[in-house]
This record gives sequence, C-alpha cells and structure tokens, in this order.
Amino acid sequence: MKDNDSLIVVECLKKHYLNGKVKALDGIDTEIKKGEVVVIIGPSGSGKSTFLRSLNLLEEPTDGKILFEGTDITDPKTNINLHRQKMGMVFQHFNLFPHMTILKNMTIAPKKLLRKSEKEAKKKAMSLLKTVGLEDRANDYPSQLSGGQKQRVAIVRALCMEPDVMLFDEPTSALDPEMVGEVLEVMKNLAKDGMTMITVTHEMGFAREVATRVLFMDEGKIVEQGTPSQIFDYPQSERLKDFLSKVL
Amino acid sequence: MFDDFYSQFKLNFIDENRWVSLLKGLGTTLEITFLALILGLVIGIVIAAIRSTYDKNQSSLKKKGGFGYVVMRILNFICNLYLTIIRGTPVVVQLMIAYFIIFANAKDGTLVAVFAFGLNSGAYVAEIFRGGIMSVDNGQFEAGRSLGFNYPQTMIHIIIPQAFKTVLPTLCNEFIVLIKETSVAGYVGVMDLTKAGDIIRGRTFSAFMPLIAVALIYLLLVIILSSLVKRLERRLRKNER
Repeated sequence: MKDNDSLIVVECLKKHYLNGKVKALDGIDTEIKKGEVVVIIGPSGSGKSTFLRSLNLLEEPTDGKILFEGTDITDPKTNINLHRQKMGMVFQHFNLFPHMTILKNMTIAPKKLLRKSEKEAKKKAMSLLKTVGLEDRANDYPSQLSGGQKQRVAIVRALCMEPDVMLFDEPTSALDPEMVGEVLEVMKNLAKDGMTMITVTHEMGFAREVATRVLFMDEGKIVEQGTPSQIFDYPQSERLKDFLSKVL
Repeated sequence: MFDDFYSQFKLNFIDENRWVSLLKGLGTTLEITFLALILGLVIGIVIAAIRSTYDKNQSSLKKKGGFGYVVMRILNFICNLYLTIIRGTPVVVQLMIAYFIIFANAKDGTLVAVFAFGLNSGAYVAEIFRGGIMSVDNGQFEAGRSLGFNYPQTMIHIIIPQAFKTVLPTLCNEFIVLIKETSVAGYVGVMDLTKAGDIIRGRTFSAFMPLIAVALIYLLLVIILSSLVKRLERRLRKNER
C-alpha cells in the first residue's frame, strides 16, 4: 500500500482482445483514495466501462495489477469473492433478480455471505429502502417498479453489503430522462455521506457538481485528469477539448 | 350392435381377468417412467452443470491452466461424447444393447429398461437445462458475482431458479415423450402397458378393443401430467411480468 488512505491502486492495467489486436485498456495507472468521488468520462469505446469492470474482475485484465485495500486481487490465489463483498456495483441495466421481492433482493447476499440473521438483514434493508423513499415497495417484485425505482433499489442492494467502495457503470444511461434526476440524487447523497465512488457516466452536470476528480479516457488510456474545474473549464489536450465540445 | 360391443368388451377385458394384466402393465410403465425420469434428471443436471461451467469459465480456466483446466476439458469431452452417441442412435437400439450386451445376465428387464430410458432421457434433459441456464441474462450472473457470491452460489440462488421457469414447459414435453417412449420396453421382454395390450390381442384375436384401450390410457396419463405442469407454471409465473 502506498499510503494509508489509498483504497485502490491500479498499476499498468491492460486488457487486450484477439491476441493484442484490440487494446481495450492500454496501460492504466491510478490511485483511488478513501472518500474520493471519481467520475470517468470519455467517448464510447474508450475503455471506461472495461476499466470499471476490471476493478472487481468482472472483466479479467490481460496484464497489470490491482491492489484493493493492500491486496493484489489480480493474483489467482486471492479469493476474489471476499473482496467483491467490499466493492458494491451498480449496472446500467439494474440487474435486479426478477424472481425475488425487493426485500429478498437486498437481504439474500447479507444473509448468505455475511451470515446475518433474517431480522438483522431485514432491518438494514428497510432502513436503506427508507433513505431512497421505497420502503412501501419492499414486498413488490422488480417488474412492478419503474426504471428509476429499480436503479435506486439496485444501489441500496449493493449498500446492504456495507461496501468500502461503490462502482457505478453508466447508472442512468438506460433510464427515461425524467428518472435520471432521482437516481443522481441518491448518488449525490451517498457522496455527501463520504462513500468512495467510482462512476462511469455521461452526466457531465453530475461530474462537475459531485466529483472530486474527473478522469478523461480515450483509446484505453487516461488522457487527462483533474478537478472538475480543471477538466471542464481548462481542458489541456485537444482530444478532451474535442470531446467536451461535442457533449456540453 | 350393443350386444356385439359388450361381448367384445367382455372377451378382451373381463374374461380370464384380462384387465388385471393391463393394470399391471400400466404399473410397470409408470414404474419405468418414474425411475427413468429421476435418473434422467440427475444425469441431466450433472451434465448441464459441467457443460455450462465449462462454457462460462473457459477463458479464466484456460488462463489459470493447470489441473482444473485439464479435468474440466476431459469432463466436457466425455459429456459431449455421451450426448452425441445417445442422441444419434434410436432408443430401441440402446435398450436392446443394454439388455442383450451390457447386462446380458440380467433377469429383471424392468431395471434394464429404467437404466436405458434414464440414460437416454438424461441426454435430452441436459441440453434442455443447459439451454435454460445460458438463456438467463448474463447481467444476472454479474450482479450475483459482484455481490460476492462464488460461481456455485450464483448458480444455485440466482441463475437456476430463473432457468427452471424457462425450461419447465420443455422439460414437461420431454417427460411426456418419455412416457410414450417406454412403450418399446416389450422388446426386451418387459410386460409394460403396450405389451399387455398386445398380448391380449394375440389371445383374443381382436385388435380393436385392447389397442384402443392402451392408447386411451396413454392419452389420459399425458393429459393429467400436462394439466399438472400447466398449473405449476402458472403458480411460478404469478409474480412476474
């Protein structure tokens, strides 16, 4: 571990397809400290989702190292399942379990993996549901919820495991425009409470308002990074200027 | 005319208590079907687990290499070989091979029939289950893994319950096919429903009554099973969509 408050250290991370012909990630180095809210932006195909998904090894990197809380999780001997419990993930398409009620969606992992009692897991789930205003939907099934509601449930489902970091993979991209706000609101509150967050998003407003650091990726590399003001107001590279001119 | 019908009925079913042999035949048919079904389910689930594990983890297994990868490759190869042979040959031939070659000394044809039909059904059940597992959205798998579930836990709690719902109608169809397929058990001297009807036909020299009766019994079995599964399906689906 480089210093005490670094949570994730990424060293020269590479992901290649087709024997190296396609380089989705081409040497990523970065360090994420506790309490940071990192937002990753970049054009589609730039590798930002691949990078995020590599952090909990949903995508297996071709080369490089990821240290999470001091442990090299890319080492085949590491039990990745234990570390994933500490890394909550929210997906673009929510991925709630359709055969379980909202409550069961939230309690199954704490019950099976953290050995929490039914009562304990339920109490935690209900208090989290309350924070996103969905406590009255606990016994409904995912199909009865709107997209925004599903995504709010997906966020609190991940929080039930009491993770040290939350990974958001384009959490608002599959939502109808009028539902984006409610999900971003939940994420803002989470950031305010001090959760370490890494978010891939196209919501530049969110990046500007909430991020402590913005990473701009292109062609599998981090091209530029800095505070929201540095990135949005004083972009340095031509590629970032070009990207911003298209999305802002 | 009615008198004629009655005397035929009496001749084929009541005289010499012929209905008893039909009933016994039905019992044997049910016994073979039920036991073969269980054997088939066990074989099918094991093979589907091996094949879908291999398919889903091929790249990471290959990367880790070593013993685990070799074992999985061998298991996968054996499964494929089994599926090819079973699905590529007629069930009657398999039954006769089991009875006259593999278990040449067997006295109880019924158990050999259970073995042969179970082995046969397993191949189809395996592919039905595998199809069901592969049809569940990969996002479900990723969501389970991201929470910290390992591969078997994700399968058991998240993927298989969803896959089961999808495969239920197809699985039911396979069982209906199995009931009817057991009608060739007579080839190895098993006194099942079909054979019992055929024997009555041989004794009474009248084909209509016994054969139609046998057909009606099969039909009734299939209708009952179908309606049971339909009810189960409706219950499973109640909470979704």
